[in-house]
Amino acid sequence: MSAALRFNVMHFMPYVHLPENHKDYKSTWVSFPNKYYDPHKGYELYQQYLSQLVLADKLGYDAIVVNEHHNTVYSMMACPSIIAATLIPQTQNAKICVWGTPPNFMLPNRLAEEYAMLDVLSKGRLEVAFPLGTGMEYWSNPVNPATARDKFRESLKIILQAWTEDGPTTHYGEHYTYRFLNPWPRPFQRPHPPCYIVGTGSPETIDIAAEYGFGYASVFVTQQRAAELNETLRQRAQSFGNNLRPDQFPLQTWVYVAETQEQAEREFIGHFQRFFEDFARTSPQYLAPPGYLSVDQLKQRAALADKMHGGFDFEAISKSFFIAVGTPEKVANQIGEWSVKMKTNHFNNVMHVADMPHWKCVKNLTLFAEEVMPRLRSRSSQYRMAAE
Amino acid sequence: MSKFERETHVINGVKTVLYTAGHGEPVVFFHGAGTVDGFDFAEAWTNKYRVIAPYHPGFGESGDDPSYTHLNDYVMHYLELFDALKIDKVNLVGLSMGGQLAALFASQHSHRVKKLALICPAGLIDPQNPMIDVLAVPGEQLVPMLVSNFDVLKKKLPEKPDLDFIGERYRESATFARLFWEHPGDPKFMRYLHRLKMPTMIVWGDEDKLIPVQQTETWRKFVPNADIKVYKGAGHLVHLEKPEAVEAITNFLG
Repeated sequence: MSAALRFNVMHFMPYVHLPENHKDYKSTWVSFPNKYYDPHKGYELYQQYLSQLVLADKLGYDAIVVNEHHNTVYSMMACPSIIAATLIPQTQNAKICVWGTPPNFMLPNRLAEEYAMLDVLSKGRLEVAFPLGTGMEYWSNPVNPATARDKFRESLKIILQAWTEDGPTTHYGEHYTYRFLNPWPRPFQRPHPPCYIVGTGSPETIDIAAEYGFGYASVFVTQQRAAELNETLRQRAQSFGNNLRPDQFPLQTWVYVAETQEQAEREFIGHFQRFFEDFARTSPQYLAPPGYLSVDQLKQRAALADKMHGGFDFEAISKSFFIAVGTPEKVANQIGEWSVKMKTNHFNNVMHVADMPHWKCVKNLTLFAEEVMPRLRSRSSQYRMAAE
Repeated sequence: MSKFERETHVINGVKTVLYTAGHGEPVVFFHGAGTVDGFDFAEAWTNKYRVIAPYHPGFGESGDDPSYTHLNDYVMHYLELFDALKIDKVNLVGLSMGGQLAALFASQHSHRVKKLALICPAGLIDPQNPMIDVLAVPGEQLVPMLVSNFDVLKKKLPEKPDLDFIGERYRESATFARLFWEHPGDPKFMRYLHRLKMPTMIVWGDEDKLIPVQQTETWRKFVPNADIKVYKGAGHLVHLEKPEAVEAITNFLG
């Protein structure tokens, strides 16, 4: 990929119609009763969300990112490949990024086939990312969290073997046996679609990305953590002989653009607060099922959770995460700054959040495409030089 | 653990810590899926027996071996430990998951088990009286469910759990998940319980909130000769709540 700046639109497709009594539930994940899901309302939401992503393609965004979660209002994409397949014929240029299905919840050959189908259907517009899956997913799917990391590694090996070696091949592993690994179709892109690992920066997932030379799509990490993570990954990848490009460090950002700073904050903050307090509401038990984390990681997170028990504070959150809210000029400057600081040219923008109404998302997508992207692209050589 | 001495063995590459005291015939105690309850109660047996209380791999002071994914791996582990300790025949006492392990060991190696005592043993698939799914219950809710009288357990717990304590509990739950996440019940365990022909005692608390005391009736069907004793007003950790339960096991061992 060239060193041009790249802008994704990442969507969670939340189910926004929370019942009035939803605060009675400690979590909107895993155990939140699915009687509150109304498929008629779900239909309307899918129409809105799909039209937003189709618009993103028309407005010139480089990529559309979908992802997988289960048992939650947070996301209606239990099967992101279905969303991808729906988007492919409605879009022209945007990469279709399935970031992605946790391989542990699929048979590896089945996932290799599914992604190959999407790649062929889209004539090579597919990009994939492999998440381990959040802790919550392991309460929702019948897969052992205590052996998940081993299984994940083995699944990846099988998928890559399926894509890169002429079949039939065999695989005799701890979790899977393949006597005829020979998936049809094969991916359109050779040897395979661009791949990323998704994660929050655990040493185990960083090592997998480093070893394979994959990008790393970090999610829900603070600015400081992201900087450390990127540096660790760069060094670890080099130790495996892999020199990662800037675009392999997609930066997850929350973006909202409006005419004035005051208006942007007024239009955005309420939704963002509900994202944190309601849509991402879960329990420590659900976040860390037994064996999902190493004991060291568990202790680090427990210590962090102890520190962060305060209420929602937009200013504090804005300072610690990548959140650009304001006028086009301000948002452009902010993203430019991060580009240099994080040595990346790849921005994975969340542009619809929680119960944001359709019109705000359309406005945000349009203003960013028409006012922010041109500003940044005209300065991109300057950012590139600074980053280098 | 005043009387006990700590020993470290390496069994098949796994660091295995055990506490031991006393002389005579060996009595081996298998702890349950957590270790906060400790081994103190077993001092009662050290007057007449060589008491051996090991930490299972993945629990307490013993090391980890993530390749242990089934209770049968623990059966093999203890065969090798007993060989290393030059123990031919043992008296086995097991609590909860340790009770299931003791019964599994005894069903497979009955000639090496002289007497078997089970304290609220896990392992039965009993649809009328199911054990709770302990993996689904948050730790802070599970601990008070272990006893009827919380004071008994309270003195064994830190006032405010620190990170090390939290980490250690998480590690033990991870070990437990490796064994039981996909299959909390193993039908093959019950299939061979009829092989428990050695003298067998089962003790239970009638207020057990983890495994209903009604499971004693199911055990009776599998092990008709078992001496079953139920203690009123006691929960899952009946051996901590009722000294007479420990005394009954002492008398049973002879």
